[in-house]
Amino acid sequence: MNKVVKFLIYLFLSITAIIYLAPLVWVFFVSFKTNKEIFTDPFGLPKSFFIDNYTFAWTAGKLGIAMSNSLFVCVITLILSLFLGSTVSFAIGRMRWKISGLVLVYFMTGMMIPVHCVLIPLFTRFAKIGLSNNLWGIILPYLTFSLPTTIFIMTGFFKGLPNELIESACIDGCNIYQIFLKICLPLAKTGLFVTGLMTFIANWNELLLAMVFISDDSKKTLPVSLSKFVGPYNTNYSQMFAAIVIAIIPTIIVYCLFSNQIVEGLTAGAVKE
Amino acid sequence: MNKLLRDKKAIAIFVLPAFLLFTFILFIPICQSVYYSFCNYDALTKPKFVGLKNYKNLIIDPTMVTALKNSLFFLIFSCVSQLIMGLILAGLLTNIKKGRNFFKNVIYLPCVLSSAALGLLWMFIFSPKLGINQILQKFGMEGPLWLMDINGFIILPMWVIAFVALWQYVGQSMMLYMAQISGISTSLYEASYIDGCNRVQAFRYITLPLIKPMVGTAMSLNAIGSLKFFDLIFNMTEGGPNKMTHVLATHLYEQGFKYFKYGYASAIGTVLLVLCLIMTFLINKVFKSDDI
Repeated sequence: MNKVVKFLIYLFLSITAIIYLAPLVWVFFVSFKTNKEIFTDPFGLPKSFFIDNYTFAWTAGKLGIAMSNSLFVCVITLILSLFLGSTVSFAIGRMRWKISGLVLVYFMTGMMIPVHCVLIPLFTRFAKIGLSNNLWGIILPYLTFSLPTTIFIMTGFFKGLPNELIESACIDGCNIYQIFLKICLPLAKTGLFVTGLMTFIANWNELLLAMVFISDDSKKTLPVSLSKFVGPYNTNYSQMFAAIVIAIIPTIIVYCLFSNQIVEGLTAGAVKE
Repeated sequence: MNKLLRDKKAIAIFVLPAFLLFTFILFIPICQSVYYSFCNYDALTKPKFVGLKNYKNLIIDPTMVTALKNSLFFLIFSCVSQLIMGLILAGLLTNIKKGRNFFKNVIYLPCVLSSAALGLLWMFIFSPKLGINQILQKFGMEGPLWLMDINGFIILPMWVIAFVALWQYVGQSMMLYMAQISGISTSLYEASYIDGCNRVQAFRYITLPLIKPMVGTAMSLNAIGSLKFFDLIFNMTEGGPNKMTHVLATHLYEQGFKYFKYGYASAIGTVLLVLCLIMTFLINKVFKSDDI
């Protein structure tokens, strides 16, 4: 490749990278400014690190509670979806039964269906059985909507395991549950890890369902609590920026640590056999 | 071993919990939702069958017309722009070595971030007197009202939001294309260079045909994603000004959970569902066929 072309490619990519990083870096700096400073000098470095924005957002803005709610919901959903998803995937990918293909298709239709379509029936039903305004009321739908991707990726992983392993386990006298728990599940660790990451991130960011199902301030999740910082009569931008940083920092850290696995999960979920 | 793998009881234990959950949380509610869309139903009354009344109201509801227009604009814009930008970025990134991972990770980063948070951030950047307009003012220019202008067939705020959505989600298409491109054997390219192809021709005649199935996958993800699109709009404009930036999802939310018109909102949901199914079907038909 000649040098001019190479230079142009790098120039283009660098500009793109700046467009991507600039808003995120900027929001970090601006979150340390006072509200007045934001209006007079929004683009310079903050004069002093004004930490009050964060303490206000964390306590009065209830982001601390929101963060622990989000963690609770996401961790429970993560564990349940990995367990339920991998049992189904094992049965579909490894065991022999006639309608396994059909059941897989049934689960896969979930990928095409937007959560919006089930909001109203779920909302009215959950209100009757005491699941509205309850964190379990959002865990159940999150879990359900995580299953299709989990099952899709995990079925692939289980299908890829060598037959001999299961045969020898069988000869050694393992029953089917032991084969699943002690042989296959540990071998599918990578799969579990990438699907787990995908599930966690998707649920961590989910707004609509959480907003509809939870009205109690002390039970709101992070994305829902964020929208409290803006309103037609509220111009306290500095606290909003602190809230934005609080909301995106955990995902940025997770992303920096595991970006390769996240990418793997994304492509594994999309590449059809 | 065969007997072990055909164990009906074990299969039931493995499959039933997820199957029941899926049926009760997803499948039955979908059917209910379609039924509700034919009902007069709100927070105070029980669902009462009224036939096509909700759908008739949908057609004459000006907000619904705007929402449908905006959603379709969004759908087309994001499918086309993500295809083009995703392919360009993937093509460029697979051709460089130094810094490939850095650029890839930076461009994919917003995909994993909360779009509710990013929506707030962009709302500020495009607000009337702050953000971008402050920079423009320094150069003596007066910036437009990015999120409030209501002139034109597709109003300016929709373009702004569409570009923000492109910024946020193009990383996903790029990743998918990169994964597919890196799976193409290098000997194919070497052979084509010997035959006198240049890089652009190689991209056109080798890369493009070979990633066609992935284009289908990425596009159906885009299509469904853009029809579901809610967070950014909700936090950037909340459907305003004057209900001009509503899309199907925000309109559904407002009708269902602000005005509690469950039946009417279910009808919007059904339109959304049908659109999703049609798009998936169409894209599969076009891109998953074997001819190249």
